[in-house]
Order: sequence, then structure tokens, then C-alpha cells
Amino acid sequence: MSPHDDLTDYALAVIDRTLAGDPVSAQDAELAELTLLLADERPRPADAFAAALDARVARRFARAPDSPGQPPEGEAAPRGSQGKRGRLRPRRWLYAPGLAGAIGVGVAVAIIAIPGSGNGSSSGTSSDAAVALKAPASIAASSSTSSSAATSRSSAASGAAAAGGESPQFAAPNRQVIQGAQLTLSTRPSRVNDVARQVFSVISAQNGVVESSNVTATSGSGGGAEFSLTVPNQNLGPAMAALSRLRGAQVISRNDVSRDVTGQAGGAGQQLADARALRTALLRKLALATAAASIDSLHLQIRDANASIASDLATLRGIQRQVANSHIELTINSVTPPARPHSPSSGGGFTLGRAVHDAKRVLVVAAGVGLIALAVLVPVGLLVALGLWLAHTLRDRRRERVLDTV
Amino acid sequence: MDRRPARSEGVIESVTIPGGSGAQAAWDRFEALYRSSRDDVFGYVATMLGDHAAAEDVTAMAFERAYRRRRTFDRRRGAERAWLFGIARNAALDELRRRRRTVALTAERPDIGAPAVEDGAELALRRTVVRDAMRALPAREREIVALKFHAGLTNLELARVLGVSESAAGTLLYRTMEKLRKACDESPR
Repeated sequence: MSPHDDLTDYALAVIDRTLAGDPVSAQDAELAELTLLLADERPRPADAFAAALDARVARRFARAPDSPGQPPEGEAAPRGSQGKRGRLRPRRWLYAPGLAGAIGVGVAVAIIAIPGSGNGSSSGTSSDAAVALKAPASIAASSSTSSSAATSRSSAASGAAAAGGESPQFAAPNRQVIQGAQLTLSTRPSRVNDVARQVFSVISAQNGVVESSNVTATSGSGGGAEFSLTVPNQNLGPAMAALSRLRGAQVISRNDVSRDVTGQAGGAGQQLADARALRTALLRKLALATAAASIDSLHLQIRDANASIASDLATLRGIQRQVANSHIELTINSVTPPARPHSPSSGGGFTLGRAVHDAKRVLVVAAGVGLIALAVLVPVGLLVALGLWLAHTLRDRRRERVLDTV
Repeated sequence: MDRRPARSEGVIESVTIPGGSGAQAAWDRFEALYRSSRDDVFGYVATMLGDHAAAEDVTAMAFERAYRRRRTFDRRRGAERAWLFGIARNAALDELRRRRRTVALTAERPDIGAPAVEDGAELALRRTVVRDAMRALPAREREIVALKFHAGLTNLELARVLGVSESAAGTLLYRTMEKLRKACDESPR
């Protein structure tokens, strides 16, 4: 310890002894006198102020019942002659971190709660609903490749028809129209066989024909079926309605196609009539012919005319057959449904396994919400803390600066 | 020369039930702190501001702030008196910042510690000399005098209020006293 420190400690001890009323040595009388003089300079509160402050403290700084003009507790303190000095303002800015946190949690919850905005963790029920709702859109998209106007109209209408299962009929009277449809269903792998059997039943009931079928059933995922079906034209609507309502299957897409072949059929009929007229004329010439060469030539021409008649007749009958029967391409896809959340209404009752599963799900969701909230709150909190620290530091420096300017 | 009491006097005491709940215990502690420090806080603030009316306002505000924050007091960070005087100091400095009217400190002081008529002429002269010397001190050193002699803080409490070490506080106090002694010796009166 340096002599200076010794001197300081000694002087401080003299001061403390003097203030405590203890005697000091004669050599310290000057310091003791200065100490006492300084202590005597101590300002003392007025009795009225002391009594008023005592009363306020006894009321725990609550507003006096007989002083309606005073501000409420915590907002201002009663003052002697300067009542507005040193008002204790509520620090509303202190609520900012809480408000920011609440907004962050709200945003996090909204991000999680909005279906489709997350990682696709929506329930199986909502996925099914989404598939059902998307079906008309896919139908409309698939119909865009159709060539005829009638096909476009039928495709646009098929979205509405898919729900009711009715097939739109666009064949005007006296028009030859070929109609067809493409239908895609989905079912669980375990139900592919059952749905395929229902297809056979429906086609049989509608007097149709299963031209070809390919059914693949597996024990696990995968599997499916493809059908090439023909039903009488007048039964196309009921058949499509029945196929759209098969048990255990859901409509994925449906495309109705129609093609007006009135001109084509008329052309084929006209060619047939011309060929028949030609053959009749040739037969008449043959009856009048005498020369051997002429007879041979007429025989050849008649044979060609017969061939043309047969061809035109086949074409016309083919068109009529297509007009009379509608073709349906049916595809059944097997889809493994996503795990559905267990709910009391889903049946099956309460089991420990489901409870554990639900508990895990709740914990995962809660952890996700917490993580997102932290991601928001931590930077906000750091910024707020930094701001508070800066404000505190600046305020302290301003306060200290006051002493330098006095 | 009269010695002033070591702590505040004439405070109205209210009856409290000891050993009550936590809130009641906190209130009891605050009330005891108020009883022991009311006049000291006023003395310190009045010396800092040089204005009795302002000192009354700031003193009341300091106690109200202390009451509102009584549950935030951390005993590990120092004694309650140091904590209270920290609040009072901030309130006084805020008031000084607001007013920037420190010249009034000298203008309004005649009623503070004015020598009694019955005091002898020599004592009155010494008082005047000391008052003039104190008035000439920079604000920081005047604050040390206020904390030590008008608020009655120990050197440790003084150090806590100023945010310095106890030895640094002692050194500051010693230097201030030396400056006052020198000013008194050099006074022409």
C-alpha cells in the first residue's frame, strides 16, 4: 500500500469517526470540523412535504380518495410545487417484444395451419377431397386434345357430369354420331378385384360387351386394371353413371368423346348407291352384249363393281355399328391411401397405439410451432435486447454528461 | 455544533404484521427502507438540484419508483440503500437534464443550512466559506459530498451508487475533501 493510500484511508477513517460522533485527535481537528460543517449543510425536508410523503407511502402510492384531480396510480406522482415533473409514464414500448412475439407465433401457426403451404402433411381425408375436386380440371385438360367442337363441348360438360355420373348426349336427330368415353378410377390395391367384378356386372346389365380386360391384383402396392368396353349407344349414359359409382372406387378423371360421322356415312352410302347403279347398268349391257370380247369385259367390270359394293357396304355397316355402340376405355389404378389421422368419428375406438400415435403427432406439431416461433422470436428478441441495451447505455451516458455540464 | 441524526427521523410508522406473505414482506422491507432513508434521499437530491420544490418532487418520484420496482431488487447486487440511491440519482439526473438550470443551485440555496442567529460570527463565517467552497466544486465532486455527508452513505454504498470500486470511491472522496480544505484555506474571508 502506497503512502498516498495510507493517507487516504486515514482521512476517510477520520471522516467516518467524526460522522459517527467519535473523538478524533487534535491534528485531525481541521478535517473533522470540515466534515461537520459539510454535514450541517444537509438540506432537510419541510414538515409538510414529509407528512404528505408519509401519507402517500402509507397508502402505498395509491391515489388519494379526496384528490380527484390527481392522475391514477402509476401514471404520475404527486408533486410539491411542480406536479408535472417526473411523470411516471407507462412504458408502452415495453409491450413491443410481447406484441412481436404474438405476431410471430400467429404467423407460425398460420403457416402450419394453411393446407398445402406446408410439407403436405394434410390428412388423408383432405387429400381425397382434393382429388375429387381436381377431377373436373383434369378432365378439362385432357379434353383439349379433342379435334371436334362437339368433343370440346362434351369435355367441358363432363366435369359436371362426373359428379352425377350422367353421360352427355350430343347426337342431334338425323345425325350420325360416334360416342365414346375414357374413365379412370382409383381404388385400394386390395379392392382391385372387387371393382373389376363390378365392372363386368355393370356392362352385362347395360347389354354391353367387355372386348378386352387386363386385371392385375397384388397383395401390396401396385396393381390395377384396364378394360375396353362396348355398350349400346343409348346405354352409354347409364353405364358411365354406374361405372362412376362403383363401390370402393373413386373417379380420377373422365373424358367423354363424340364424333359426328353423318357426312362420312352419307358418303359411304352414296358410293354404295353409285356402285349398285353401275352394276345394274353393267348387267343390262351384259344382257344385250353378243361379242365374246365385250362379254368378258363386262364380266370384269361387274366383278369390280361387286367388290366396290362389298367394300362400301362394309364401310357403311362399320360406321353404323360404331354409331350404334359406344366404346369405353376404363382404367383402374390402385392407390395406397395415406395414413389417416385417427378421430373418434373414424371408428375403431380408442387404443393405446392410437393414443401414442396421436400424442406423437401433437408433439411433432407443437415442436414445429415452437421451432418456427423461435425462428421468429430469437432474432426479434435479440434486436429488442440490443435496442434496450443501446437505449439504456445512451440514457446513462446522457445522465452522466449532465454532471459535466453543470 | 449539533450533530445530525444518522438516519431519517420523524417518519410516520404504520403497523404491519411481520412474517406475512411475500408481498407483505416486500412491503415491510420497503417501508423500513423508506423510514430510514426519506430525509437522506431528500438531502442528497436537494444538494444535487439546489431547489427544494424540485427536490421534493424528485424524492417522491424516487420512492414511488422504488416501490414499483421493489420486487426487482437483487440483494446480490448491493444493499437496498445503494439501490434506492441509484434510483434517486437517476431521477435527479433526469431532472437536471430536463431543466438544464443548474445555476439555480446557488441562487436558491440561502435557505438550505443557513447559519442560526445564535451561532457565533466565526462559525457563521466558516459555514459561509465551506458553502462557497462547495458551490465552487464541479458537479461530480459535489455529488460525492452530497452522497457522503447529506445522504449518509458508507464508502461502499457510495461506490455502488457511482458504479466504481470502493477504493476508487474513497479516493474520489479524499480528493474532494482535499480540494475543499484547500479552497477554505485560500478563502479571503
